[in-house]
Amino acid sequence: MGELRPSRRAAIQRMAAEYAGMTLVLAALVGLFSAMSDHFFTTATFSTLANRAADLTVIAVGMTFVLVVAGIDLSVGSVLALGGSVLGVAMAQWGWPMPAAAALCIVTGLAAGAVNGAITVAWAIPSFIVTLGMLEIARGGAYLVANERTQYIGDAIAGIGAPLAGIGVSPAFMIALAVVIIGQIVLTRTVFGRYMIAIGTNEQVVRLSGIDPRPIKAIVFMICGGLAGLGAVFQTSRLGAADPNAGIGLELSAIAAVVIGGTSLMGGRGSVINTFFGVLIIAVLEAGLNQLGVQEPAKRLITGAVIVVAVVADVYRQKLTRARS
Amino acid sequence: MFESRIGRNLWHSRPRLCENQLQHSRGRLCHMLIMLIVALTLIGCGDRSSKPAADNDNPTIALIMKSLANEFFSTMADGARDHQKAHADEYSLIVNGIKDERDLAQQMSIVEQMIAQQVDAIVIAPADSKALAPVLKRALEAGVVVVNIDNKLDDGVLEQSGIDIPFVGPDNRDGARKAGEHLAKTLKPGDEVAILEGVPTAFNGQQRRAGFEDALKAAELKIVAVQSGQWEMAKANSVAAAMLSEHPNLKAIAASNDSMALGAAAAIKAAGREGQVKVVGFDNISAVQQMIKDGKILATVDQHGDQLAVYGIEQALAMLKGQAAADDRQTPTDLITAESIK
Repeated sequence: MGELRPSRRAAIQRMAAEYAGMTLVLAALVGLFSAMSDHFFTTATFSTLANRAADLTVIAVGMTFVLVVAGIDLSVGSVLALGGSVLGVAMAQWGWPMPAAAALCIVTGLAAGAVNGAITVAWAIPSFIVTLGMLEIARGGAYLVANERTQYIGDAIAGIGAPLAGIGVSPAFMIALAVVIIGQIVLTRTVFGRYMIAIGTNEQVVRLSGIDPRPIKAIVFMICGGLAGLGAVFQTSRLGAADPNAGIGLELSAIAAVVIGGTSLMGGRGSVINTFFGVLIIAVLEAGLNQLGVQEPAKRLITGAVIVVAVVADVYRQKLTRARS
Repeated sequence: MFESRIGRNLWHSRPRLCENQLQHSRGRLCHMLIMLIVALTLIGCGDRSSKPAADNDNPTIALIMKSLANEFFSTMADGARDHQKAHADEYSLIVNGIKDERDLAQQMSIVEQMIAQQVDAIVIAPADSKALAPVLKRALEAGVVVVNIDNKLDDGVLEQSGIDIPFVGPDNRDGARKAGEHLAKTLKPGDEVAILEGVPTAFNGQQRRAGFEDALKAAELKIVAVQSGQWEMAKANSVAAAMLSEHPNLKAIAASNDSMALGAAAAIKAAGREGQVKVVGFDNISAVQQMIKDGKILATVDQHGDQLAVYGIEQALAMLKGQAAADDRQTPTDLITAESIK
């Protein structure tokens, strides 16, 4: 912000620097796993990987928005479980058709997000605390709604999560891709997106400029909740059952993906596309380690190390981009 | 993959805050708080040591479960509550569960609270086979009868700490062996199979894995992968998907619980290999029954979850009355297939 509009060539250079690092890390991971396993570099692997990444992708997009306005949402995993439980009960017990139940699931997520946002802005409480509360509330709600039982739905919901014949990816993944693209456009090409970045950079200045930051922040939390609801639809569809224990620790996976993608935890800086790369890195890492049959302790050590290395690499990338522009 | 431990971290960070403030000048309030906590702890200790032999004629039994959000444990707790209602004149019941199956610290503090509350007996499904032994030893020393259900405490640790706690529950290894043998009947020697184990530190998980291995090896099947699905559906789903990609000739997945079996079945479906890869589970939760009827899951094992806590309570009551010694008691396990559900 505030800098001179760069020439077209410089813009392309900057974009290359922006995405090259992430692409490189991703390619290196894929190369490494392909070398270590005979069956990693196959369409089957990438098809299941893409379809599994859909839920984390949409949730990470919402988390990117929240981090850009210098907030945090710890409740996404629980909101996913709550949405999934509502969806499961609506279909398995009330006999609702899939579209209506999915809509109810997303509305549940929106509502949880709206509560997060409203409380955060109304009393100016750190979103860390508000969403920590929602983490517990939504989880309790999920157990209540599902009566602490896994809700088996079966084929009635399989449509969105099942890979389409021919292209190998599911409608869920395509919707997730669309969400990434729309998210990037909103963040970089709209007034709303500019406001988000401004709020994350310096909320005080935004207020003094005569713009009320509160509705914008509230809407961002609502979007994040709604996307957690959408993630619940994807996950439930993929598993054919809704588990009230779903998504424990998911908030940390989402934050990790967003941070790997270079979004600042301090707000004011972020990229939805890079978040998507972060999700892919986490998904490839998980699939690869599973496929090699790596045991749990090593899995955790490696995953943690990759997160830290990716974030350190991002610091250098930032320096490089700043030096160029 | 990433567990949420934020709540606990917050708690840990609190005393540090106090230290900081003490160094500065505003330490008086903190100081008073610490004194108050110390005083309360002392009162608590006093209470514990002056425990009366018997409060009244009606004993109180504390049932301490793992996660009550897990259907298996909530069924167990419901069974116990029903039993208590039917025997309301014989004992009263306190049911407690932890938030997440791996939260050992919380389960330990529940045991401590129950000791402080002077219950007569504790019936516990330990979240870990080893870590709970010291706190249960304190319970025994406070004169509380302790009965172990579901997940057996480690024999070595019990011996080391010099305590004797009876285990009332199913032989998980034998149950898993039944499911494994049923699975083996549908396969031929040399076929590739994989095992989705539970949390590797839990004894029942280890026993189920061992039971599967017994049966699969006896039938000369080739176990090509053993990985943990952490007892969870979504986690097991991603592990199973990876197993399916890595082993194109995989013929079966044996899962140590039904949640993981559901996750594996979904992965098989997504890979388009339904009917080619068979699944067995363990626990007989309601969600798998339809899957078994539809032939998507081959079999599961019913360990009569609704009765498990009741068996433990009966043992505790008998011990309180002096009618039973602290001996282990085995409860039945049954194989559930499409035929037996009908």
